[in-house]
Amino acid sequence: MTDPLHDATATDPATGLRAVRALRELADRLERLQVGRARELGWSWQEIADALGTSRQASHQKHRGTTR
Amino acid sequence: MFERFTADARTTVTEAQARARDLGADRIDGTHLLLALSAGGGPAGAALAAAGITPDRLTALIGSSGLDAEALAAIGIDLDAVRAGADHTFGAGALDRAGRRSPRHLTFDREAKKTLEVGLREAVRLGDRSIDSGHLLLAVLRLPGSAAHALLLRAGGDPERLRTALESRPAA
Repeated sequence: MTDPLHDATATDPATGLRAVRALRELADRLERLQVGRARELGWSWQEIADALGTSRQASHQKHRGTTR
Repeated sequence: MFERFTADARTTVTEAQARARDLGADRIDGTHLLLALSAGGGPAGAALAAAGITPDRLTALIGSSGLDAEALAAIGIDLDAVRAGADHTFGAGALDRAGRRSPRHLTFDREAKKTLEVGLREAVRLGDRSIDSGHLLLAVLRLPGSAAHALLLRAGGDPERLRTALESRPAA
């Protein structure tokens, strides 16, 4: 198959947006997994937020309920 | 309509829901229906198996639950490698399970509903009293351009041959 996709800066918005969407979905999943593991290892929400570059409230609200 | 479904057609509907959930989908779409048809033992499952279209093959083509391996590969990300790493750290299947969790009750999307309706019409057209999985597969064949039809083609299915095989079987 020829490669219709070049990169996230592709000139065709459809191609570029598809790449962005794929990246976001992958990043979301990895975030969920990593945050869950960090909580299991005893990390505080503040520590997780610092690592992610977000606020403690944002991290807690986003992941509360999806992790123990 | 559902009261006219045979046991294998009913199983298809519940199986489509289970498959959609396994794949982390938020709706049941035509590809989940096709997957359920291929996994069932009714006339549709038999016709698809004879054509070499197995649940495993379809699942591989549907791809992993919303992760766009092709788009990621184009920007240099090897999804298989990421998945292997995630499996290692978080347990097998972790990346797929981390997909948005399916709601408790999944609804059929427009195309899947349409497929069920067309399945009913196929049964009427063939003079059959009940709707079985064969009619549902005929409905997929009747809807070119749908996601399920496209998936069938990608899996190497020949719509004409499948239609012939399904229509030449004894009536349900």
